[in-house]
Amino acid sequence: METKIMMKYVSILSVLAAVGMFAYVGYASNMISYLSEDPKVCINCHTMNTEYATWQHSSHRERATCVECHLPKESLVDKIFAKSRDGFKHSFAMTFRTYEGENIRISEDAQQRIQANCINCHREMVSEITAYSKLYQKEGGNGQMDRKCWSCHRDVPHGTTRSLTTTPDNLGVKEI
Amino acid sequence: MKRSAVLTIVSVVAIVPMVLLAISINENKAEQKNINAVPQIKKFESRSSEWGKHYQRQYDSYKQTKKSDKIDDMLKANPALVVLWAGYGFSKDYNAPRGHFYMLEDNINTLRTGGPVDAMTGPMPTACWTCKSTDVPRLIDEIGELDYFTGKWARHGSEIANPVGCGDCHDNETMKLTITRDFLKRGLDAEGSLKAAEATHQDMRSLVCAQCHSEYYFKKTEWTDKNGEKKTAGVVTFPWDNGFSVEAMEKYYDDISFVDWTHKVSKTPMLKAQHPGYEIYKTGAHGLNNVACADCHMPYVREGGVKYSSHNVGSPLDHMANTCLNCHSEEEKAFKERVARKLERKTELNKTAMDVIAQAHLEAGKAWELGATEADMKEILQDIRHAQWRWDYSIASHGSFFHAPEETLRILGSAINKGQEARVKLRAVLAKYDAGDYAAPDFSTKEKAQAVIGLPYQKLVDEKMAFLNGLRQEWVKEQMQKGLYDPSAWEGMVFNTSYKPSEVAEK
Repeated sequence: METKIMMKYVSILSVLAAVGMFAYVGYASNMISYLSEDPKVCINCHTMNTEYATWQHSSHRERATCVECHLPKESLVDKIFAKSRDGFKHSFAMTFRTYEGENIRISEDAQQRIQANCINCHREMVSEITAYSKLYQKEGGNGQMDRKCWSCHRDVPHGTTRSLTTTPDNLGVKEI
Repeated sequence: MKRSAVLTIVSVVAIVPMVLLAISINENKAEQKNINAVPQIKKFESRSSEWGKHYQRQYDSYKQTKKSDKIDDMLKANPALVVLWAGYGFSKDYNAPRGHFYMLEDNINTLRTGGPVDAMTGPMPTACWTCKSTDVPRLIDEIGELDYFTGKWARHGSEIANPVGCGDCHDNETMKLTITRDFLKRGLDAEGSLKAAEATHQDMRSLVCAQCHSEYYFKKTEWTDKNGEKKTAGVVTFPWDNGFSVEAMEKYYDDISFVDWTHKVSKTPMLKAQHPGYEIYKTGAHGLNNVACADCHMPYVREGGVKYSSHNVGSPLDHMANTCLNCHSEEEKAFKERVARKLERKTELNKTAMDVIAQAHLEAGKAWELGATEADMKEILQDIRHAQWRWDYSIASHGSFFHAPEETLRILGSAINKGQEARVKLRAVLAKYDAGDYAAPDFSTKEKAQAVIGLPYQKLVDEKMAFLNGLRQEWVKEQMQKGLYDPSAWEGMVFNTSYKPSEVAEK
């Protein structure tokens, strides 16, 4: 009987501890902030400092935030899934340090999203390119339009050289 | 019991990875804190090398201004200047400016600041340090602006230890551009078109330069110190109340009957234009398009993967790929030729103006000698005052021929006109005293011109050398004791002046 009561308390305490721990992890990781679209969220960790700084000094700063290019825009469900998937990958890489020593590259999936977003905003420009596309030199599989915007616009918006040390003094990142 | 055990096991299984995760998150946060840490630089830190520890590229490029080391004796190149500035410091010694690295050295070496023997002697007031050193905002903060602007130049010698540097333009905490000289704020607010408090970052990229590269005078200001003693300060003040134009400032000075000095030969109540670089730049194509000083004089450069703003302030023509050619798609050579032509045009009118006004001074001197009256001379002296003010204003900032060629040539034109008006009137006065055919003496070399105005050149040099070997050495010792002296600000400094110490001169 006594063990039973004791076990009951132990179980209640451990559940409380688990809930408390979850709350603390949520607090420590700024979990809630990831629900927002604020570009500052992308520099919760230092890994994206340079990407943030280069974007902040680009013309896109005035028009497009991180998520407006990097996440799908058309459907909310797609957006939430993409965000969760990327978020999980990023957290995993950050926690288990699998990205260290690697040159961070965008995934194939994310490339498709960004390309779609480029076209979404620059529709008029792209429609003209498409209209005249049969006059262009053909390259690759189906011949037309399979290059990405940034195959040519290489420095948009993050510049051409970017590593953790590229923007050492950026005070947009070093918010006081 | 079964349910409790399951709950406990599940909770523990959940807690363990969460603890590990929390530890990992906190480690990452600590790392981020290190990476994002803002350098700690103390307020009013005047030693640029202390800032340079954190901003090495900017500091290194700033130190490159040391390469702009040529002494270009302007009096030798334009002996008429000696006559124009007779009775004023600039007739003693005037070189084209060198890099920021030499700013304090040249201020100390020039014959204009003379050879003080203690804190109370010497020709110049404390205000002459104002644009030369990062120690000035520090000192103003310590003793107050009015006290700072009181007394002789030599008074602050042991406090002013570092040339213009980081702290003159940057906030020590955020590195944001900041105005450290309040007289600029007062000048802007008085002019009214751009209030200091409303300046954008792009405005600030010119305004930090405008703190010094502007027209100013020393406004006599009475004040009482804490012991109740009445004192007079000479406060650096921008004459912008009526606007930024040469006429607006001329009116400002005339309205308060301001006189920089009385001309030694012509007795004209003179104005000395300083270097209205900012005001003239604002009237030119680049200024009107809000291209900032820093856009051309401190261009972005790339070193490896890092892009930063070069602090090697100098001529944009020295590295056109990073400056002009960012906006203009033309050939470097064609560009350089066009700028050279602009300079030639200015030089042509500048030479004419200097010659006309120098002759006017000498002719006026002759008229006084022959017994001309105040009434004879009144209008003439006003013409000479305005002519020289306008000439000086148009060229004193050196870069005006490029910053605003039309405005520069317009002002030079009006200076020549005023000068010739004075000379036409002078002919009548000279004729009245039977000297209608008077020709001014030869002032075609620096030596002849200094002889014409009676300048004891070698005496000035000897006094200066005594000061440099005496009082200045004491200043340096005191600066070291106070912890103000920054060896890297003086590293590799070579004594270089237009004059020679007498023992060298005799050889």
